[in-house]
Amino acid sequence: MTQRRMFLRMITASLLRRRSRMLIALLSIGIGATILAGLVTIYVDVPRQMGAQFRSYGANMLLLPKDGETLNSESLTEALKTIPEDALVGAAPYRYVRLDMTTRQQSFTAAGTDFAQITKTSPYFSVEGAYPSETRQVLVGKEIADTIGAKLGSTMELTYQPASHANDKTPEESRLPGASLSGSAEGFGGGVVYVSAVLDEEAKISSLSVDASTQTPEYGGRIPEDEAFLGQFIGKSLPLTLGDGVDALTGATVTSNAVVDALNQATETAVSVQPKTLNFTVTGILTTGGEEESYVFLSLRDMETMTGADQLDVAELSVSAGVDQLEAYADTITENSGSIQARLVKRVARSEASVLEKLTALVFLVTLVVLLLTMICVSTTMMAVVSERRREIGLRKALGASDGSIRAEFLGEGLFLGLLGGVMGAVLGFVFAQVVSVNVFGSSITFQPLLLPAAIIVSMAIAAASCLLPIKRAVAIDPAIVLKGE
Amino acid sequence: MSLLELKNVSKIYGELKALDNVNIHVDQGEWVAIMGPSGSGKSTMMNIIGCMDKPTKGEVLLDGVDISKESSKRLTDIRRDKIGLIFQQFHMVNYLTAVENVMVSQYYHSMPDEKEALEALGRVGLRERARHLPSQLSGGEQQRVCVARALINHPELILADEPTGNLDEANENIVLDLFAQLHKEGTTLIVVTHDPEVAEAAQRTIVLEHGKVAREVINENFGK
Repeated sequence: MTQRRMFLRMITASLLRRRSRMLIALLSIGIGATILAGLVTIYVDVPRQMGAQFRSYGANMLLLPKDGETLNSESLTEALKTIPEDALVGAAPYRYVRLDMTTRQQSFTAAGTDFAQITKTSPYFSVEGAYPSETRQVLVGKEIADTIGAKLGSTMELTYQPASHANDKTPEESRLPGASLSGSAEGFGGGVVYVSAVLDEEAKISSLSVDASTQTPEYGGRIPEDEAFLGQFIGKSLPLTLGDGVDALTGATVTSNAVVDALNQATETAVSVQPKTLNFTVTGILTTGGEEESYVFLSLRDMETMTGADQLDVAELSVSAGVDQLEAYADTITENSGSIQARLVKRVARSEASVLEKLTALVFLVTLVVLLLTMICVSTTMMAVVSERRREIGLRKALGASDGSIRAEFLGEGLFLGLLGGVMGAVLGFVFAQVVSVNVFGSSITFQPLLLPAAIIVSMAIAAASCLLPIKRAVAIDPAIVLKGE
Repeated sequence: MSLLELKNVSKIYGELKALDNVNIHVDQGEWVAIMGPSGSGKSTMMNIIGCMDKPTKGEVLLDGVDISKESSKRLTDIRRDKIGLIFQQFHMVNYLTAVENVMVSQYYHSMPDEKEALEALGRVGLRERARHLPSQLSGGEQQRVCVARALINHPELILADEPTGNLDEANENIVLDLFAQLHKEGTTLIVVTHDPEVAEAAQRTIVLEHGKVAREVINENFGK
């Protein structure tokens, strides 16, 4: 038999045949290791757990159109590809317009959105009834519902007035912004010249096309292709006078005149995009405690039907990630997208970071305290073990055990206990963390394979450190005690 | 040839002279008993001979080496290599079996050898009890295991401290018979005792009183 086998035999015999005392030492290490392993598991998992929790506080990133650009569902989808699918909790698009409720002489801010996404980005929204699931359904803010006396199931007639935003304007002025014009006038030789134009929000010509097929090809007939001539009209307000801001095409004065006349005439009858009226059924009344209570929410599809445009004002994103990661996503989106800029909702993102910081600091502190308590407990137990075994230690020394052998034997027992306690701690610690996670965070955690070796190493280290003082005591025992017939 | 020689050895604890200028010598192969009432200095002498204490004054020569000035680490080495100890209270490691207890001595000395340990137990008549724990052995059996443990490393000197103090007469005789065998084989034996019968089994008895050698008695009946 080798020295090592005898060493192991003595240690295991000591642990196995002196069960009660060793069970206490094992328990103290095991429980310590359990709590430590559990806390570390939670510590590692907290950012993920809390990240998911924080998402109930609403969006932490906004996507907005860059200056002079537009945001639409297509560019939004493209931008969202930057964020990994599992990190993106939700992305709610919003398009805000004023809608009139003509029957009551009221107008409200209406938000076109995707209700499925709203439940993810704004889980705190409290809806009486249900979110709209089909077109022609609305979710009405509490404040509006109170004002107009809307009830679940009641209907609302909402009208989109393209120009209704323009206050303090003559009917003429409010009619023209955004209008499409088409008109005609008699040109050279009795042939009719047709024009069609689109006006921008400020009622200035944004595009113009001319049909001059009845005109002399070398003269008036050149107008539709003459960009210099047509270009003069862009950005001008109607009505126009030839020679005042726009000049006639050389050799085609009559045709040029006909273009101006046709445009001027068209303004007389022009109607901007037709007011669009749709009937909606109220499916839900929204309470948030915030400004959303004064909004009407409808589906993006209805919004597009009413405004005739696939356009978004903002998208609210809820992303499960730390502040640094969020910033990285935002920078990437802003950099890669030509039309979209991303911004963090600092209030949410920062407070998340600060809560996380405090929570991890707390767990760290508790871990430290448990570590200390475990060491004290194990140390005390080992101390008791040493005084209990004074006689045996004296005997071993009398039989020729060196101080080194005594140290090795006690350290060996301590490390063995640490090993057992570590295994126990890793397994029970995971169970502990799982229970905490399920009860506190409401979600389960996955086993970290690294936990087992880590728990074993840490508990062996704790056990070894706890044995230092008891070992010092053991070494100091006088072998002569065995002789005195005590 | 003397194996052990104490020259003018004193051990002083404050005012108390536990040993006062003691001179003794023990020859190789000799069987010596040390007697004396409580407080006569027996235990102190035992500690010094057993390399567990150092004298305040004087020289202790064990196998020609002066052990009175050695470091405690060296003393441990000397004790392990040259001395086999037997105690009144037996002192077994209570969670190890009989054979394992014998092997502990081998473990600290050189190399554990179960076969040899079992042979040693056979010699003290406990081959069959080798796998028993101390709690399953009688006092006499435990002391016999301790004898086996003391002789396993073939020490030059066996030092026994009241070896029969806790034994009945039958077991006392068994242990004394074992000592007689060891003596025949040439082992030097020093037995500290207050029991005249045990002392009479030895060749020579040194009587201590008040830390001094009061007298030495040669046992004329030895071996008869």
